[in-house]
Amino acid sequence: MDQLFDVSLFASALRMLAPILLAALGGAICARVGLFNVGLEGLMLVGAFAAIAGNYWTGSVAAGVLLAMICSVLFSLLLGYMSIHLKANVIVVGIALNFLALGLTTFALRAIFNVKGAYYDKNMKGLPKWDIPLIKDIPWLGDLLSGHSILIYISILIVIGLQFYLFKTVSGFRLLAAGENPTAARSLGIKVSRIQYGAVLMSGVLCGLAGAQLSLGNVTMFTEGMTDGRGFIALVATMLGQSNPLGVAAASLLFGFMESLSIRLQGFALPTHFTMMVPYVVTLIAMFFFKDKGYLQEARKSNESSR
Amino acid sequence: MFSLKNIAQSMLQPLLAIIAGLAVGAIAILIVGGSVGETYMEMWKGAFGSFYFLTNTLARATPIILIGLGVALAFRAGFFNMGSEGQLVLGALAAAVTVIYLPGPGWLRMIAGLLAGITAGGIWSAFAGWLDARFRLNLLIVTLLLNYIATLFTGYMAAYPLKDKTGSAAMAQTVMLDKAAWLPKLFQGMTLHAGFILAVAGTLLLYLFMKHTVKGYEISMLGGNPLFAGYGGVQRGKLMIASMFASGGFAGLAGAVEVLGTQYRFLDGALTSPGYAWSGIMATLLAGSNPLGTALAALLLAALQTGGMGMERNTDVPLEVSSIIQAALILFVSAKLTLSFIKRKKARSKNGSAV
Amino acid sequence: MLLEMDAITKSYGSVAANKGVSFKLRKGEVHALVGENGAGKTTLMRILYGMETPDSGMIKLNGRPVSMNSPMDAIRNGIGMVHQHFMLFSSFTVAENIVIGREPEKGVLFDRKAAAAETVKLSEQYGMPVDPWKKVGECPLGVQQRIEILKVLYQGAEVIILDEPTGVLTPLEVKELLLAIRQLADQGKSFILISHKLNEVLEVADVITVLRDGEVTGTVKASESNEEQLSRMMVGRNLVQQARAGIQIGKPVLELAGIGLKGGKAKALLDNITFSVREGEIVGIAGISGNGQSELLQVISGLCAPDSGSVKLQGKEVAGSPVHAIRSAGMAHIPEDRYQWGVSKDATVAENGLMGHTKRHQRLGILERKDIRAMVGEWVSRFGIKTGSLATKAQHLSGGNLQKLIVARELAQETPFLIAAEPTRGVDVGAMEMIHGELLRRRQEGGAILLVSSELSEVLKLSDRILVMLEGKMVGELSAEAATEEKISLLMAGGKAVV
Repeated sequence: MDQLFDVSLFASALRMLAPILLAALGGAICARVGLFNVGLEGLMLVGAFAAIAGNYWTGSVAAGVLLAMICSVLFSLLLGYMSIHLKANVIVVGIALNFLALGLTTFALRAIFNVKGAYYDKNMKGLPKWDIPLIKDIPWLGDLLSGHSILIYISILIVIGLQFYLFKTVSGFRLLAAGENPTAARSLGIKVSRIQYGAVLMSGVLCGLAGAQLSLGNVTMFTEGMTDGRGFIALVATMLGQSNPLGVAAASLLFGFMESLSIRLQGFALPTHFTMMVPYVVTLIAMFFFKDKGYLQEARKSNESSR
Repeated sequence: MFSLKNIAQSMLQPLLAIIAGLAVGAIAILIVGGSVGETYMEMWKGAFGSFYFLTNTLARATPIILIGLGVALAFRAGFFNMGSEGQLVLGALAAAVTVIYLPGPGWLRMIAGLLAGITAGGIWSAFAGWLDARFRLNLLIVTLLLNYIATLFTGYMAAYPLKDKTGSAAMAQTVMLDKAAWLPKLFQGMTLHAGFILAVAGTLLLYLFMKHTVKGYEISMLGGNPLFAGYGGVQRGKLMIASMFASGGFAGLAGAVEVLGTQYRFLDGALTSPGYAWSGIMATLLAGSNPLGTALAALLLAALQTGGMGMERNTDVPLEVSSIIQAALILFVSAKLTLSFIKRKKARSKNGSAV
Repeated sequence: MLLEMDAITKSYGSVAANKGVSFKLRKGEVHALVGENGAGKTTLMRILYGMETPDSGMIKLNGRPVSMNSPMDAIRNGIGMVHQHFMLFSSFTVAENIVIGREPEKGVLFDRKAAAAETVKLSEQYGMPVDPWKKVGECPLGVQQRIEILKVLYQGAEVIILDEPTGVLTPLEVKELLLAIRQLADQGKSFILISHKLNEVLEVADVITVLRDGEVTGTVKASESNEEQLSRMMVGRNLVQQARAGIQIGKPVLELAGIGLKGGKAKALLDNITFSVREGEIVGIAGISGNGQSELLQVISGLCAPDSGSVKLQGKEVAGSPVHAIRSAGMAHIPEDRYQWGVSKDATVAENGLMGHTKRHQRLGILERKDIRAMVGEWVSRFGIKTGSLATKAQHLSGGNLQKLIVARELAQETPFLIAAEPTRGVDVGAMEMIHGELLRRRQEGGAILLVSSELSEVLKLSDRILVMLEGKMVGELSAEAATEEKISLLMAGGKAVV
């Protein structure tokens, strides 16, 4: 068992955590304003691609991350426009956007890099690692906490920031109000659609970062559909965490750990098929502990009398 | 009831979406430096240019139609079944295993294989429905997660217990099926097989089922307003499991048809990498869950895909242009939903809700 | 003159909701706006509150023309509105609900302590006690009403619009509310009170304006008016009393014994409910909404299984049976909320009419569409349902026509037992009389009907026996002869039964 659970396993859990966590926070903020964002997967994929492309064009990691955020935000704008402005079913739009993201990135991979399937450049630099002074010299703890890509530390800061924003600030309070009872919020002059747009764009930024961590942090490459369902796992993390930033972080940590465990198990004699199943199975099991709102409530909401 | 104007109107929206999708594709073609006219010409030829290409397109459309029908059924009942991919591969594997191990004459094994495909896909899908009906797990997410589990499981089966050890190739695949159990080809030397007839029959049956049967009525009421359906005596739980079974059954049948009509063995990745399942879901979305429309949309998507291959063969424009067009189509169709919403809103204010 | 609305006109399509309505309000005045459903009261107030823009007309505040383009404009101009359906955030605290929109800030932070302090100050100033830290969802409706008023006062309202404020309150809470309105008016606040409860209006208002079909039929001083005069102005004619012929009451059709339902909370939703409905009898259930009526109907109709007790329909035990079993045992059901339970908005008139009738119109599971169209078409002509065709979607029908469709569908089930829950909510007078007539006819034919209505007048008009519900219990039973509005109100409020 020593081989299975060592410090590098936990360290890799932290690495795996970041993309899920960032996307799940995006999902959480959308859920808080009443939008079930199924498009996280697509947003993340666009971010992952844009990060590589930006890095390739400018040679700068920062520019890559920036481009990732910009592209994901543009994409999320599309989601917002269709679901908030045109009032299309947000789930249908989310699914459509996932298709679009897959199609666009596959096309762009071909158009820009002239490759099929994956782009990899061994000279490309990934996200810088940060060796935390002092902590890095502590045995065990240093190995665990230090030396990760900078986005991982940023994602933890974002959790705290978001928690603070939602529950301590006036603007966060209004965001919660817009989600809890949009009609009432509107009657008070709160600009509900503006807040919804804000939330969707914010989820774009977060998914852009998530994508960048995926393509520039964990590895330095882009493969077709490399998000591999992480957007949906993030959605479950959002639900499990009850759209509470701290709760979402805890759920994401679980899923990140399962992912790193799945990679670690490949070193053992088990067939990879089964080890790769672990995150999905665990996610499925985790859903038993979250009671969905259920169709009755959903239906009640959508069939409210017009009075 | 069905005036010409109505039909023209319902055709207008998808037509506009197609034109818009092609326009987006044109931009993509220009970006990669191709000629729009020439490229679309090659695309047309690749999809419908000769009898061979036409039948090829129909063959590709076959699994997409079947999957699309299944998804349409689920969507009509208000269930976001995103699990077609898992249901597809399980159906395919079950069909292959049945034909390999079942004794008896070829035709019997073929039919048993098809039934096994329906059953396997159906059960996997009904399982998701049961999890929702019994434990209130979000169906959309459960079906997505089950996809990964199913594809990994079938991948394992093809790579280990059922692996074909006779061939020299190190591919994860089962042995070749006995020729007697193959689905017959419709034309000598063409890829099109009897599965297409099943797809067409399925389309008509589903259309008639939804329009003319009590269960079809109950399904659309459940999708429209589940509270109303429950109040009127429709049993959601039972109907959910049954319609999810049927929905997955269609996907499983698609897998079985591909194995028995095209691949003649179960090959890991052969059904997932062409994205049949996702094309099927796209077709449903394009057609707004109407069975006839779903079949047409599936044909359109298949044509875009085979046309894209033709285009890639004969021009410098990459195949991926066609995925852009497909994605843009979906997006514009979602906007169609919107247009009908705006119309609805207008109508409502016309009728006056001055309560 | 504090506020003047001058010649306001507003149409929705071909329907004119307001036709040249003028309305004046003085400072410190309580001005009631009465009228039937659909008379245009709510539209007029939505225009004043900036939620709708009028087609023509003018609003003047202190003699100065103002334009109200959004609720924010109205709030800025000192106009506040308490909506019929409360606009509250149930997971937020009382203080949060009151200060929302104008939160006390500390930098970018929301100063919740200051919000609580403001709330306490306000509630003491106006004599309306609330606990600032309590979650609104845990407050009784009367307190929620108070919170709504405090919120409007916090926003600095001088003119307060109250839309049907007493609909969900107990008589005691109504008394308190009316008292509070008077006190605030004495402190210089002005009120516009929308209501159709004439006794309350006469009690609290200074001036009363009556609307009918979008037009003002008169403005009178409350002290110089009475209920008869107001009703005439509201309806435009004297209502025909529908005669309730005496009829032989037969054997019991529905029998409830000891029904209990726990629900999530500590207090039982239904507590030991026992009663029966017999052939040729309408049993009315009166009570403030939210006292267990909805749950009771769900138990009887099979939408929810009771925790204890028995429900017998035609002598057959059906407690906990699924809906379809109970329906085939002989129940039809006009649901209390037609949009939630009664229709599928995207489905056609014919499809909506088919619900519950599939068994009779099928062969081997295939629908007989021609028969179905004939059946629904017959209802459309007999009930005068205004619809484009049978293929029109339900959402394009007005509320009253939709309700007629539902009533026709459920009557056509021809079951021995019928639930009629809020059968005339939100429909116009004509449709109401028609529906009442149909229910009485069914009774005449020996049907057993359970009527649940939050309108006392409806219960009194139709019922042979009246049961009163309070907090999940049956607290009294009155015969039609013995029942008066006063007696029922007393029971509804938890007073002792004086039968």
